[in-house]
Formats: sequence, structure tokens, C-alpha cells
Amino acid sequence: MIGASLSRWSMAYFAAALIALFAAEIMMTAGFGFPGATVAAPETLILVHVVAIGWLSLLMCGALLQFVPVLVVQPLYSDTLALPALVLLVSGLAALVLGFLQLGGYIGTSFPFLAAASVLLGCGFALIIWNLGRTLAAAPKLPLPAQFVTVGLVCVAATVTLGIIFALVLGGTVNATSLLVLTGIGRPIHATAGLGGWLTFTAMGVSYRLLAMFMLAPDLERPTTRAALLIGTIALAVAIAGGVIAALTHGNPAIALLAAFIGGVLALALYGADVRHLYRARKRKNIELNSRMTAFAFASLAASVVLIAVLLGLGQLEEHIGAVVFLVAFGWLSGLGLAQLYKIVAFLTWLECYGPILGKAPTPRVQDLVVEPRAVKWFRLYLLAVWAGEIVLLAGLPLLFRVATAAMFVATIGIAGEILRTRRLHNVAAASRLPAGAQLPRLLISSHA
Amino acid sequence: MTSAFLELDVRPTLRNGGEPFQEIMQAIASLVPGQGLKLYATFKPVPLFSVLKSKGFSNEARELDNGDWEVLFLPTEGAAHTAPAAAPAADSAAWPAPMQELDNRDLDPPEPMVRTLAATEAMQQGEVLCALLCREPVFLLPELAKRGHAWRGAFEPDGTTYKILIRIGAADREAA
Repeated sequence: MIGASLSRWSMAYFAAALIALFAAEIMMTAGFGFPGATVAAPETLILVHVVAIGWLSLLMCGALLQFVPVLVVQPLYSDTLALPALVLLVSGLAALVLGFLQLGGYIGTSFPFLAAASVLLGCGFALIIWNLGRTLAAAPKLPLPAQFVTVGLVCVAATVTLGIIFALVLGGTVNATSLLVLTGIGRPIHATAGLGGWLTFTAMGVSYRLLAMFMLAPDLERPTTRAALLIGTIALAVAIAGGVIAALTHGNPAIALLAAFIGGVLALALYGADVRHLYRARKRKNIELNSRMTAFAFASLAASVVLIAVLLGLGQLEEHIGAVVFLVAFGWLSGLGLAQLYKIVAFLTWLECYGPILGKAPTPRVQDLVVEPRAVKWFRLYLLAVWAGEIVLLAGLPLLFRVATAAMFVATIGIAGEILRTRRLHNVAAASRLPAGAQLPRLLISSHA
Repeated sequence: MTSAFLELDVRPTLRNGGEPFQEIMQAIASLVPGQGLKLYATFKPVPLFSVLKSKGFSNEARELDNGDWEVLFLPTEGAAHTAPAAAPAADSAAWPAPMQELDNRDLDPPEPMVRTLAATEAMQQGEVLCALLCREPVFLLPELAKRGHAWRGAFEPDGTTYKILIRIGAADREAA
């Protein structure tokens, strides 16, 4: 056991992720894709994948490259593989966007962009799964948060596999009947595996550890945590394996997804109880901005579950699926992601800059790298904009939705600006910024020394 | 007459979420020449094999009916008598008593790391620092290695306190 060091490329992942988030917000504000276009329109597909791959997956990969080693107290299997994975994922996303533009008739060339995207994204995610999988496999015993991440990695493999099948079918590369059928009705399975399995389940696992760490609460290995893991895993298996089998045997994947939803609600309720326990059992009474804002992300997650249940009851889920995905992606996943990113960048930058001289010279505290009263305004604007956007989406007011996403864009620019200031140590008083022996960290590459 | 094997059951420690490494090392240190260790664990303790091999023990592991593992660590020929003498720092009795003790359990991260490193900077070569933490110090360990300090750490039997002993400038003498 030698502990964990700084992940070299995580900052580059975070930067690429934020750029994708800006792009998605600009698209929504410009009226590109849903709700102006239908959920299945190429424009919407572009928007959804810029959010899911560009923003959320790159953010998650960057965070996992840093925190999987922390979860299992093992060094990352390979720091080197992280860079080609990033290049493959970004270029794969670009090819995917071009492929969708081709489907929408925006580009005339016959270059097989969707097939290229399949190869690039497939290889990129495979490298991530291999790197993190080997890191997990080196641990003598997986703590519960790491088991959540393991399930999440299986789910991203399933998501990418389905995505590749869809891309090859839509791009005309394959035309086997079964795959055509799967592409026709398998989209909800793909979305559930991605948003539910990969992003939500992994975020749950990592949040158990990060919340405990930053709030000084005991690490949880409670029966409820085990039950959340077990029930959640079964629900995901039912949704993904059950859904695919149903689709291939001319059944209805909706039944598998409904069964999985019930299990998913149970798992999320147990997770909610655990998180409440973490907040209550914390030793640190004054919690920092990231933990306060994360609470609002949890509220969005709970609201998403209630919304799905209500829409199912009213028989309107299909009609409002765009609004559901919006709340899950921007209220829950992005809310959590932005809040934790704000803290993670401060913590990692502090560790990189001052770790080597701790005890040898006076150093600033981590909190000296951030100015919370300024950042909190941007976070409030972001959350209000997302919730307002959700309401006007449900009410069918597309123009007001664009106003809301414009506010989201302004807020995330503000948050990203704060994160940039943190990374450049602009918030630290000049006199104590760089004591002898300390070096200003590079923007996108972290060094070990 | 001592028996051929000292028995050590670390399953309760593991089930309580503890880290039995220190317990095992103490048991190894207490063996009389020629004596082996019979270890019971909840999983096959593969990382331990190489650690104990370097201390002159071969191993025979077998899975029990209930999924637990029984491992026999046998002193290899000739190694039993020479190994402890050749690596005095490797047995915990050889470390001097801590010069300083820190209780960092209630501090906000990364304050425990800050205080621990500050304390090591003020100490002399060969001295030992004892620090109590509320979790495994994953970011501290590489920093200790970089500064050339040796360390030994494990969760206490309560499963919530992580106790680390740091010996200043002793990394050369011991592969942690």
C-alpha cells in the first residue's frame, strides 16, 4: 500500500468537460434540439451526447482517475493511458456530432462519421474501463463505494456497446434485423444504462466517500448501503439485460424498465437515508459550499424520481421524457458535478502546490484558494435557472426555457471562472501565494513532484 | 516446548473493517526460531505473501469450506534465524517509542496531513511520530515516501481510528 498520488490528466478532463457544458448550454439557448426539435431528432441527439459524453462522462472519468485510487488505496494502474483515452473520447464525440449532422442532412459528404465515432468512443471508453478496472482489481478487498464504481463501469460498457450498435445501424454499416429492432426500441435502455447505471450509480459510490471525507463523517458500510448496492445492481441488470433480451425476443422492454424503476426507487431511497445519515453524523458543523450545494443536487434527484412516478401515473412519461432527462442531467448530475468540482480543484491544486513543502514553510489553507461568498451567487443562479427551466419545460414554454438556459450559461461561466481563479491561485494573498519551494501548478497537467 | 505454529485469527478484525497488518507483523515478530504462523483470514491475503517471503517465510494457502482462508507461513531453511537479525527495523519492537503523539482525528482535511508533516519536519533522524487519524491517509503516504520516512499504519480494533507510526528518515532501511 503506497497511497494515491495526483492524477496527471484529470484537470484536462475537467477543462474539456466544462467546454462541452458551455456548448450544450449555448445550443439550448439558441433553440437547437429539444424542445424545439423532437426527442429523436438529430439535433437533440447532438445536444444529448454533448451533455452525456462531453460534459458528464469526461467529468466523471476525470474524477474517477483521481478518486478510484483513493477509494481502494492503490496507485492508478496507468497515468499514461489517461491522455490517449481523453483524445479518443473527444475526437469520438466530434465524429458522433458530425455523424448526427449527416443524419440531419446538414453535411453532404458520405464519410462514415458514425462508424468512426463507434471506433473512437469504443476505444476511449475501453481504455478508461481497463485503467480503472485494473486499479480496482489490484485491491485486496473492494470497499462498498468501489463496488458501486465497479457496477458503474459495467454499465458504461453496456451503454457504449448499445451506442455502437445504434451508430452502426443508423450509419448503415450493419443491417441485421435484430439490431434494427434493437435500435428502434432500445433507446430507453441505452439512456437508463448511461444516466442511471454509469453516471448516477458511480456518482453515488464516489459521493459516499467524498461526503464522508469533506464533512468528517464516518465512512459508511451500513446495511442500508449494502442493500442500496444490491438492489440497485439488480435493478440495472433487469433494465439493461432484461430490456435487451425483451427487445431481441420481440417483447416489450418497457416492462423490464418499469420493474427496474421500482427497484431503482428503492435503491435511491436507501441511498437517500444514508446521505441524510452522513449529513447528520458529520463532525464538521459548518460545512463548505460544495457540501451545501450538493444537498440541492440530492433534492433534484429526489424530485426527478417523484416526477417520473407522477408522469407514469398520469400516463405522460413519454410526452415529458425530455423534461425528466433535463432534470436528471442538469439538476442532479450537473448540480453534484459542479459542486464537487469546485472543491476537488481547490483540494488537488492545494495538494499539488503546497504538499511538497508542508511543514517546511508556512502554507495557505485549502479554503484560502476559494472565495465562497462570491461563488455561492453563481451556484444559486445555476440552481434557480435549472429549476425554472424544468418548470417552463413541463409547462410547454420553449421561449422561456431558452431564457432559463441562458441564465444557466451565465452561472456556469461564473462557476468556471471561480474554478479557474482557484487553479491559478488568484484568490491567495500574493505575499503567501508561492513560498520558497512551491511552484504554480500548470493549468491542465498535474505533476507528481 | 512451543508448538510448530502460532495461530492468529484476523477474521474478527477484518469483519470489523480493520486492517490486521500490524497484528500479523507483531505475531511474526514474536515467533521463536523455527516456528511458523497459522493465519486465518476472510480472503486470500496475496499481498502478504510477498511481504513475508522477504522476511523468510514460504506459504501454503487453502480455502476453508466456509470461504475463509487458512494460510501456513513456514520459515524457510536457514532463514528463520538470520532474517530477524538482518532486518532489525522490520520488526516493530525495534522502533523506539514515539517521541511525539498527535491526535488529528477531529481536524478538517487536509489539516491532519499538514500537522503530521509539520511535526515530522521538527523531528530528528530515527525518531518516531505517532499520529491518530480518522481515515487512511492516502495522500500523506506518497509524501512520506518522497521525504524518506518509513511508516506503519493500521486501523485500531475499534475500526474508526487509524494509527500511523512514522520513523524519520528510515525509508532506506525498510520497504514499507
